[in-house]
Amino acid sequence: MRLTSLGLVRGLIGYFVGLAVGMAAVVILRLAFGMSAWDQEAVWVGGLISAIIGFLLGVGAMSDWLKWTRGIETPLHHGPPADKPAWTRYFGVDYNHKVIGIQYGVTGLFLLVVGGSFALVFRTELADSGISFLQAGTYNTFLSMHAWVALASILLGIGGIANYLVPLMIGAEDMAFPRLNAFAYWINVPAIVTLLISMLFGWDSGWTAYPPLSLLGPVGYQMVFLAIFTIGLSSILGSLNLIVTMLMMRPKGMTLFRMPILCWAILATSIIQLTATQLIGQAFLMLSFERSLGMPFFKPIYDAAGVNIGGQPILFQHLFWFYSHPAVYVFVLPGLGVISELLPVFARKPLFGYRWVALSSLAIALVGFLVWGHHMFTSGYQPYLRVVFMISTLLVAVPTGVKFFSWLGTLWGGRLTFPTPMLFTLGAISVFLIGGLSGPILATAATDLFLHDTYFVVGHFHATIFGGFVFPFFAAIYYWYPKITGRMYNETLGKLHFWLMTPGFWLMSLAQMTAGTMGMRRRIADYDPALGVENVQLLVTIAGFVIAFSILIMIYNLFTSAEIGVLAGNNPWRSRSPEWQIPSPVPEHSYAKPIAVVGEPYDYGLAGSSYIAMAGAGDD
Amino acid sequence: MLKLPQSYADRKHFLIVGALVVIGTIVLGFFLLAILPIKAQASVQAEPIRWLFQLHIWLIAFLFSLVVVFMLYALLVFRRRKHDDSEGEHFEGNTALEVIWTVVPLVLVVIFSFIGVQTLRGATSGGDEVQVKAEGFQWSWAFSYPNGVTSAEMVLPVNKPALITLQSRDVIHSFWVAEWGPKQDLVPGMTTSLHITPTEIGEFQLACAELCGLSHWSMTAKIRVVPEAEYTAWMEEMLAAQNTQTASR
Ligand code: HEM
Ligand SMILES: [Cu+2]
Ligand SMILES: [Cu+2]
Repeated sequence: MRLTSLGLVRGLIGYFVGLAVGMAAVVILRLAFGMSAWDQEAVWVGGLISAIIGFLLGVGAMSDWLKWTRGIETPLHHGPPADKPAWTRYFGVDYNHKVIGIQYGVTGLFLLVVGGSFALVFRTELADSGISFLQAGTYNTFLSMHAWVALASILLGIGGIANYLVPLMIGAEDMAFPRLNAFAYWINVPAIVTLLISMLFGWDSGWTAYPPLSLLGPVGYQMVFLAIFTIGLSSILGSLNLIVTMLMMRPKGMTLFRMPILCWAILATSIIQLTATQLIGQAFLMLSFERSLGMPFFKPIYDAAGVNIGGQPILFQHLFWFYSHPAVYVFVLPGLGVISELLPVFARKPLFGYRWVALSSLAIALVGFLVWGHHMFTSGYQPYLRVVFMISTLLVAVPTGVKFFSWLGTLWGGRLTFPTPMLFTLGAISVFLIGGLSGPILATAATDLFLHDTYFVVGHFHATIFGGFVFPFFAAIYYWYPKITGRMYNETLGKLHFWLMTPGFWLMSLAQMTAGTMGMRRRIADYDPALGVENVQLLVTIAGFVIAFSILIMIYNLFTSAEIGVLAGNNPWRSRSPEWQIPSPVPEHSYAKPIAVVGEPYDYGLAGSSYIAMAGAGDD
Repeated sequence: MLKLPQSYADRKHFLIVGALVVIGTIVLGFFLLAILPIKAQASVQAEPIRWLFQLHIWLIAFLFSLVVVFMLYALLVFRRRKHDDSEGEHFEGNTALEVIWTVVPLVLVVIFSFIGVQTLRGATSGGDEVQVKAEGFQWSWAFSYPNGVTSAEMVLPVNKPALITLQSRDVIHSFWVAEWGPKQDLVPGMTTSLHITPTEIGEFQLACAELCGLSHWSMTAKIRVVPEAEYTAWMEEMLAAQNTQTASR
């Protein structure tokens, strides 16, 4: 088998060819217009745009569409490629949502490891005071890269959960637009390559990229802007696809309030992604234009009389947070959905207050649009805005509380068992509780004026993101692993992973918050020993390594169990959900016959009830 | 050994859990106050911040205990016993409960909004008996007083309301003295300000709290809060030094 028969390899070749062609084109254009040949901003931007297109052409993510423009029909191909080993379909364009879901999930996991390693690098530097091996510039680059790589990993991980599960859970053949689905996955790959290349040049503003700082630094910024713009495009296309799929392709009898609860969470998430992502795309595009074309959107420029004829730095913060606050709910809503999905199975009991849980996701999503200014209490905007954003932010606590109490109601009176997925679900609740409860103290503006930009905030958002995404993601991986591979993971290793990671994380969160209240600022390469936070910082670093180690155990477990794990059977968890009523691993065409919904999704303990009926041989 | 009922609706469960939540709240509250020693204490504006922070801690202690005690209790009491293959009790929800745990938090939100506005006013207002301008630039600070005195350290008299005006020469920075409480960004193109009435004599560190590039971590300056007489003396000394400097030029 030739290496170039892998789409990924062809895509990477296309990327670098495109890069060279694009850079050359910009140079030639510049010369033609009588400018100097080299301007690194313009040349790189031109090159990178062309590189991303080159990747997509190389991998073949647009082949069918291009053929359509020439009137050639392209029927959907099913199954692994005919002339190559079956595994190769994961490394090229494939339209099956289960393949795409795995591609998303594995890429997400890969990025989680990469982003995590960046953190370990700078955590080692922070373990004691004094600069030891990372110079401040490198420190800032690692810190900034950690954030965006980790955020990309979350977005891809969510894509994995959504793409793999939504069609299965609603008994659909595939997503509404399979080609768009593949395209939305594949544009992430050149974006990630671009993001990683930015490291060679460096950039130092943190993920928030506030101007004027982000207008000044090295050309690495341009790569970040373009990469995030492209990943954002993926979010928009992917969420569009999911919304259409859920609204149009549900089976007979599945009203919205009879969808599996995870679908509600994904629906709310997708609404946010579809409507808010343009804001960060726009904001980063404006930064890019300001750098390469000198359009003054954000940086003040003064004329001879001292009048500002340039831009306004705070405007950027509004645009940025108008996406980035709702985005934090993108990160957590699917995970909260996983929690709500798994608890009834392991409690053998209906989900408490299904409608309230479903609607609380929507409520969080909607209120989430009105609170962005809580990231700007100290920014210097009009003082009355602090009051407005304080109140709207506090309101988010209400639907969040509904979720917690409903989870407790689900546990109460159940017959609880504790295999690894359940442990991670409970761990997620405990960690998200720490994160959620540290939110209102940041929302009341007075306390935030102290806590803003300290390690307290670092503790807050790591706890929300781990509790709302990482723990539930791991729970989901362990839970659906037997459905995906047909085999069981190793339970002992799973429990070991849990018992290392969970206490490790509690310790890390609390230590970060302690450091913050003691006056430790965030995003600093070194700190004053007089602050007295050295021991606390050491604890954070140790806990970080424990967490990282435990994740390696999981990855080992996932790889080895795929071959030596015991056969799991179709429904090891005795779930009522549709995907567990079909064989494991799921066949190419998931459902041989259309399904119909005949009951409530979570009626565990109601004798004789069932959620779905598979169409019998005679009645289709 | 206490014998626990297995039915989910038994009153006994709720009595035990209630007692444990009370104990949990108290223990956790003191624990959190110990491990979250908020540093804001050396100015009038720090007072409401500190007070509200500690109020939050008690609310957090209560809510955390509420959820965790219920959860741990359920895990213990409602775990599946050996050879028990039955399903859980079938109840799908309870609208009254849902309404209660929507409305009670809503009331808390209203209360905290009210308190939030009051404390915000306290943390951001004050007089301007002393005025000083702080300029931030990559990666240092410069201070100047209305009488023309410029200095690399900031000196303020204790217990006198000060108005600190803030300007940046390049990128966004943030003015923060942890002991004083609030911080405020310096934004190029505009002037922002901060009211501080220092209540403790001593040396403090001003640190930039907004990532501003390479040496952000070391963008600090010395702040000295001194008795008023000492402040006047320092000011005269500075004025005299500056005058001789200008004269000799
Ligand atoms: C109970 C709900 C929550 C409230 C009231 C809340 C409140 C806040 C506030 C006020 C800030 C600004 C702090 C500052 O920078 O000074 C903040 C920061 C942050 N929160 Fe939350 N939060 C909540 C839940 C969440 C959730 C669910 C996430 C999800 C991941 C999250 C992620 C973040 C992140 C990432 C930041 C830091 C952004 C940055 O400055 O880099 N929060 N939160
Ligand atoms: Cu936010
Ligand atoms: Cu700074």
